[in-house]
Amino acid sequence: MAEWADSKTWLNRLVFIALAFVLIVIDLAPLDTRPSLWAAPDVLLAATLAWVARKPSYVPVFIIAMIMLLTDFLFLRPPGLWAALVVVLSETIRRQHREFRNMPFLVEWGTIAFGIVAITVINRIVLAVVMAPEAPLAPTLVEMVATILVYPLVLVAAHFIFGVSRMSPGEVGSKGQVL
Amino acid sequence: MARDKNSEDFIGPIRRLLVGLLVLALVGLFLVWRIDSPRVERLRAATIDAVVPSFSWAMAPITGAANLVSDFQSYQQLRAQNQDLRRELQQMRAWREAALQLEQENAKLLDLNNVSLDPKLTVVTGVVITDSGSPFRQSVLVNVGARDGILDGWPTMDAIGLVGRIAGVGQNSSRVMLLTDTSSRIPVTIQPSGQRAILAGDNSLNPPLEFLEDATLVRPGDRVVSSGDGGVFPADLLVGQVALGTDNRLRVRLAADYQRLEFLRVLRSQPHERIGDPGNLLTPEAEFFGPAAVNPAALSASGFGDG
Repeated sequence: MAEWADSKTWLNRLVFIALAFVLIVIDLAPLDTRPSLWAAPDVLLAATLAWVARKPSYVPVFIIAMIMLLTDFLFLRPPGLWAALVVVLSETIRRQHREFRNMPFLVEWGTIAFGIVAITVINRIVLAVVMAPEAPLAPTLVEMVATILVYPLVLVAAHFIFGVSRMSPGEVGSKGQVL
Repeated sequence: MARDKNSEDFIGPIRRLLVGLLVLALVGLFLVWRIDSPRVERLRAATIDAVVPSFSWAMAPITGAANLVSDFQSYQQLRAQNQDLRRELQQMRAWREAALQLEQENAKLLDLNNVSLDPKLTVVTGVVITDSGSPFRQSVLVNVGARDGILDGWPTMDAIGLVGRIAGVGQNSSRVMLLTDTSSRIPVTIQPSGQRAILAGDNSLNPPLEFLEDATLVRPGDRVVSSGDGGVFPADLLVGQVALGTDNRLRVRLAADYQRLEFLRVLRSQPHERIGDPGNLLTPEAEFFGPAAVNPAALSASGFGDG
């Protein structure tokens, strides 16, 4: 993918990395150290999937892997597993992003929701199989549902703030290359 | 569509291979973590140590904004707060008198007993940099680490009560696992009755007490302090008060202010010297007089006592 990138794409990659950095910092800020009863949505995951579904060239798989591995380390998750699952899911969506262009939004949302549910379930199954300590079930489900619900909002933000929207048919890069 | 597919044909297989290798590497890291967890956890501590302190400039505006909002809220409730504080102040005056008298009495008694408090219990104070960032783990990162001589397992307090223990030390930072984390287990004593129990974190603000011998001797309001059991913690660090949860379990209302942990004191707790065999303290190992090579099994079998 990197061979086709022009300066605009590179700029947008940096914007995505900066966005991920801000989301991570907001998660890490020690505002309230009491345990919460419910879990906030995983906005970083929703943003990653939204970017892959809309402008896959802005989020190369290498960047996704690095960011997710970093959050695995920072958020005390088993390192590597969640990153691998997100990479696989993002690759699946990347392969379908041309079909998304012609589909109603609900189908896209359904596909994304199915993907999020699938990686959450696989994550739990793998952790159970290797007998690693698992997160409690209820907040995990709350986080999963919240992430699915927040996806359209992330899309709206991506469209109006970051200018990341569906490619129109026949759209090419600044040097006429295929995106 | 057709053109897209054609153009992908060059790069498709190589890309797929690279992505496959990437996923394999990530899964491999996970497996290595599962097999040899301490090594990867050290890698995690080193990563956090390298990355997080450089985040502090980015975190300043967020914490600043949060402070602004909370300050604004407290301005709104100024009048009510003022009344509350006055009422509390009156109560506290009474307590202060009692405390002064008790302090004098305590000093006298300690003098009489010639007690020396543990001189090794000194503290290192650190500032909380970040929390765990995940709703499932309860821990914070403080800005003191191996550089300051912090060791795994040392207890950590805020100004009043126990907060948690050190779990994971980097060069410049270390992680404090809070008492509310699901993997936190602390041996405690419940004060007037002297009952021993385990304070088991369960991701809620008030962790339950487990393995209580006789729950009828414990009532809400009793003081909970750490017990020195198992050499985990020094004894008599204040943990909190017993409270009866809505699920009818005995829980602990923690004395530390978990709403906003800012400065934490890490206690340098040295392990106590263990006395394994008290008999040897009085007399050295008894020399053996008598016929050599007596089989101890035969001795105990013939009822000769414990040899």
